[in-house]
Amino acid sequence: MKYIFINLAFLFLIVGNHALAQVDRSSYPSPAPAPEIQMGDAHSFTLENGLKVFVVENQKLPRVAFSLILERDPITEGDKAGMSGFVGEMMMGGTTNRSKDELDDSIDFIGASLRASSNSVYASSLKKHQEKTLELMADVLFNPIFPEQELEKLRKQALTALAQSKDSPNSISGRLTSALNYGKDHPYGETESEQTLNNIQVSDIKEYYDTYFKPNIAYLAIVGDITPEEAAPLVEKYFGEWEPGEVPNHEYETPTPPATHQVALVDRPSSVQSVVRITYPVVMRLDHPDYLVTRVLNGILGGGTSSRLFQNLREDKGYTYGANSSFGADKLVASFTVYADVKQTATDSAINEMLYEIRNMAENGVTEKELEIAKATIGGSFGRSLEQPSTIASFAINAERYGLPDDFYSAYLQRLNAITVEEVNEAANKYLKPENLYITVVGNGNEIYDKLTAFGEVQKYTNMGDPERELELGDIDISAADVIENYIQAIGGRESASALETAKMRLSAEIQGTKLNMIVLYDVPKQRMMQRMLMMGNEASKTIIKDGKATVNAMGQSQTLPDEKFEDVKMSMWIIPELHYENMGYSLELEGLREIDGKEAYKVVVSNPTGGTITNYYSVESAMKLKSESQVEGETTYLAYEEFEGVKLPVEISLQSPMIPFPINSKLEDLEINPTFTEEDFN
Amino acid sequence: MIGSFLMMSSLLAQNKIEFQERTLDNGLNLIMHRDNSTPIVAVAVLYHVGSKNEKPDRTGFAHFFEHLLFEGTENIGRGEYMEKVESIGGTLNAFTSNDITYYYEIVPSNYLETALYMESERMLHPKIDQVGVDTQREVIKEEKRQREDNRPYGSILRETMKRAYQEHPYQWVVIGSMDHLDAATLEEFAQFHADFYVPNNATLVLAGDIDYEQAEEWVSKYFEEIPSGPEEFFRPSVDEPKKESEIRDIVYDDIQIPAIIQAYNLPPKNHPDSYALDMLSTYLTGGNSSLLTKELVDNQQKALGVYAFPLELEDGGIFIMQALPNMGVDPDDLESEVDRLIKEVKASGISEREFEKLQNIMENNIVSQNSSMEGIAQNLAMARVFYGDPNYVNKELEYYRKVSKEDIKRVANEYLRTDGRVVLHYLPKPQDND
Repeated sequence: MKYIFINLAFLFLIVGNHALAQVDRSSYPSPAPAPEIQMGDAHSFTLENGLKVFVVENQKLPRVAFSLILERDPITEGDKAGMSGFVGEMMMGGTTNRSKDELDDSIDFIGASLRASSNSVYASSLKKHQEKTLELMADVLFNPIFPEQELEKLRKQALTALAQSKDSPNSISGRLTSALNYGKDHPYGETESEQTLNNIQVSDIKEYYDTYFKPNIAYLAIVGDITPEEAAPLVEKYFGEWEPGEVPNHEYETPTPPATHQVALVDRPSSVQSVVRITYPVVMRLDHPDYLVTRVLNGILGGGTSSRLFQNLREDKGYTYGANSSFGADKLVASFTVYADVKQTATDSAINEMLYEIRNMAENGVTEKELEIAKATIGGSFGRSLEQPSTIASFAINAERYGLPDDFYSAYLQRLNAITVEEVNEAANKYLKPENLYITVVGNGNEIYDKLTAFGEVQKYTNMGDPERELELGDIDISAADVIENYIQAIGGRESASALETAKMRLSAEIQGTKLNMIVLYDVPKQRMMQRMLMMGNEASKTIIKDGKATVNAMGQSQTLPDEKFEDVKMSMWIIPELHYENMGYSLELEGLREIDGKEAYKVVVSNPTGGTITNYYSVESAMKLKSESQVEGETTYLAYEEFEGVKLPVEISLQSPMIPFPINSKLEDLEINPTFTEEDFN
Repeated sequence: MIGSFLMMSSLLAQNKIEFQERTLDNGLNLIMHRDNSTPIVAVAVLYHVGSKNEKPDRTGFAHFFEHLLFEGTENIGRGEYMEKVESIGGTLNAFTSNDITYYYEIVPSNYLETALYMESERMLHPKIDQVGVDTQREVIKEEKRQREDNRPYGSILRETMKRAYQEHPYQWVVIGSMDHLDAATLEEFAQFHADFYVPNNATLVLAGDIDYEQAEEWVSKYFEEIPSGPEEFFRPSVDEPKKESEIRDIVYDDIQIPAIIQAYNLPPKNHPDSYALDMLSTYLTGGNSSLLTKELVDNQQKALGVYAFPLELEDGGIFIMQALPNMGVDPDDLESEVDRLIKEVKASGISEREFEKLQNIMENNIVSQNSSMEGIAQNLAMARVFYGDPNYVNKELEYYRKVSKEDIKRVANEYLRTDGRVVLHYLPKPQDND
């Protein structure tokens, strides 16, 4: 019975299949006639003070969004880079009517969003809370008080975020490519550092706010469940009193692509993948006649998943999770970039393929089929964007900002569809620069440096996007031992230096208002040393070297270092380590000249027998030690020396290490020379 | 009766999502939502298979398919799938979770039939061949490096999940093990498709500019002939045992700023307590005025940021808290402050005003979430699979409304138990370990 049943089912299946065999799966179904794309309109009006308002009504969701944008020239911030990043949050830091706590609570209480930046304020909420939301938005916009303590909080966060970014391959790459494309003195190439963040004052933020927050350079977009008739009196009520004022203009030299390929590497030893960005600056604006054709060009090269770069590097070679390109557009200047995070061992192969794709398109152009796909992709994306009512508002604002023709958006698809292969090829030839590229990589230098030399001379950069400078040693006839000896002479001579047998130093530093003290005991004859770090009076860490071993106590844990590590630590356990290099059997190597904070310096690598190294830099001019680098201690920069008992010792140093995310400047507070220590002192 | 009903509906600012639902003979679930305001349509297929349906020695399969199913079918050549969708002005993507895999296209509405044909092709007969498998293996290895290995804090989820689950397959992350993918044979991949990528394990959703009748006709045309899969699907029925003691570890990473992770096991996603737990996470870190943000980021300035969110999963996810200390702040110090504040909530609950605020935030979130066709398609599909009814999208706010102030205190005590949690400290790797 069961057998029959199965057979019947089988029969039924065959019949079923037969009946359905008429579905033709061998080709794609034909599309229905193309639907008409309907574009809504923005209703606009201008207040007496110059504020331009756009209202886009859409009742799908019972929500309203208010978006205010300032149209100003980009600004440079110089030694206060990062300032504009604080403006928005400082405005949210409290008003003459509400403390920050009250403001935050009022926003959250109605489930609204309100945020500000240096050139925008955005607020949204459910329709039923729109008036309250506007009131809060206006309060932030017109009555900020810029509290000092808010700036200190933001500074602390920015310094922490900066520290985080130094380990993030994408952030490093972003800083590097901006610096290369635009230059560090251009608004788009500036980078904030610990120093520039520390320079920012409340007065800078107030000045910025007073200068740029003016209605005559502002656009307000109102989108959602609101009619123009309802919006007009609200806008007048909340923004009508805003005083206009003159706003300065700024002009900049336009950056140009490099004359020949520049290969830039940031060595990130922990990287297991290479972040490759091939880039150069381009001038392209929304109102430029080539704007649309460059969108098409980029779409074919690296726009979506069917683009040449994606298909070649990912789908064909499997080098990467994604390879794409972007062709920016900006009022001032933008960049063209080909980018992918690629397999380490395929770094050079991937770059080769990227270069090939750029050149191939510049020289050989595109096919009719590719053009059709690109048009469909860009047109499709345009059509989908109309789903969001905010798109209509941004179209209206762009039309104003760029003085676009009335039919710029309504005829967008027509103009797109009229583009020919010849036009794309012409643009490819004009805008793609296969000989003028910044080829940048963030990755493991040991693994990839040699391979990168195939593309040109490799310039190394720091994780802050600054070049690592290497100078030529030239014909100077000097050995590493001479450099060391000169240093010993310069600090006061071997005899005086050797007379310092023990020392007790107290150094102090300040991190974000937190006092830090370091107490260091040196006992040269007994070969022991202790270093204690105190934070607000509490011991944060303690390192003891004695009896041939080193113990580190930190975060409540105690660890005795393995032998090899101990050998490394030992290298810096002396008051003047240079006196001991020879006795300890360390080898010295002079690796040439480097520039350290604007001074020429000899680079001497000191190696211990187990392979640990310290790299010291000694000034060519004064013979003094300017800087040390070691894996154990990070970077130490010697900023000032003073003489004690005939010996010059550093009294101001800057420390930077992977364990502390930003440099700490510390000062020698007191120094006891040749005190007598007991056993207890080293416990 | 009538009066209270009216009051109720005016209370709910949410606009109702209309839809039609039908199950085909082969078990395929069809949900359609019509909105003709923009000439686009989202076509989505949710397969009820995620990383939890994998074998412990073959992890990463569900995600592997997310890649493989773009490779082509018997009628659609290699590389053609993506190109076709783009060439008709559409876009496509997919994602995989521990519970489901979700594929979608958004196309101009005159290409609805094309999109249906294409989705039916990869359900009926995808091409699973050596070239595709070999390529996608390499691509996924780079995806893993990009997401996890080469990214500061990238391993947080992997490290947390493997400690939060001793028994349940949630212990491995969606991307899985590269060794398992290397070891898997073509036959194993084909079998996985036969086991899960079948009509009776799938939900097809259309949302946008459609005609209900025409759409249904096309769905029948392309999907009805696809044979049903197995009657039963492998779904792990493992009850994760309750942990009796805290699991605490240090993870060294290429970072400069430490991070503190705390994870507490949650009830299944569709458990009534999920709403209160979501509100609790909002109370803790949602918005500038939330408890932990206000106290730790603004007042004490010990944290750069604090985030709590319930990672809700079908069989019970985890409530993850993440705190990033500001420079110079001892992670232990920050952690004890986090613990102190949570203890306060457990002891005292929340105020009436805070409760009202939470209700307003939830209302705003739910009303805002259905703002795109793709979003609506996804919400309908999830509602069907996880709550058994697409209409859940219209009832969600009601469930939140049922949560009381006392519930929030109760779930804090019941689920945020320090003796059953996982705590990880991410610390900077000493440099010479590289």
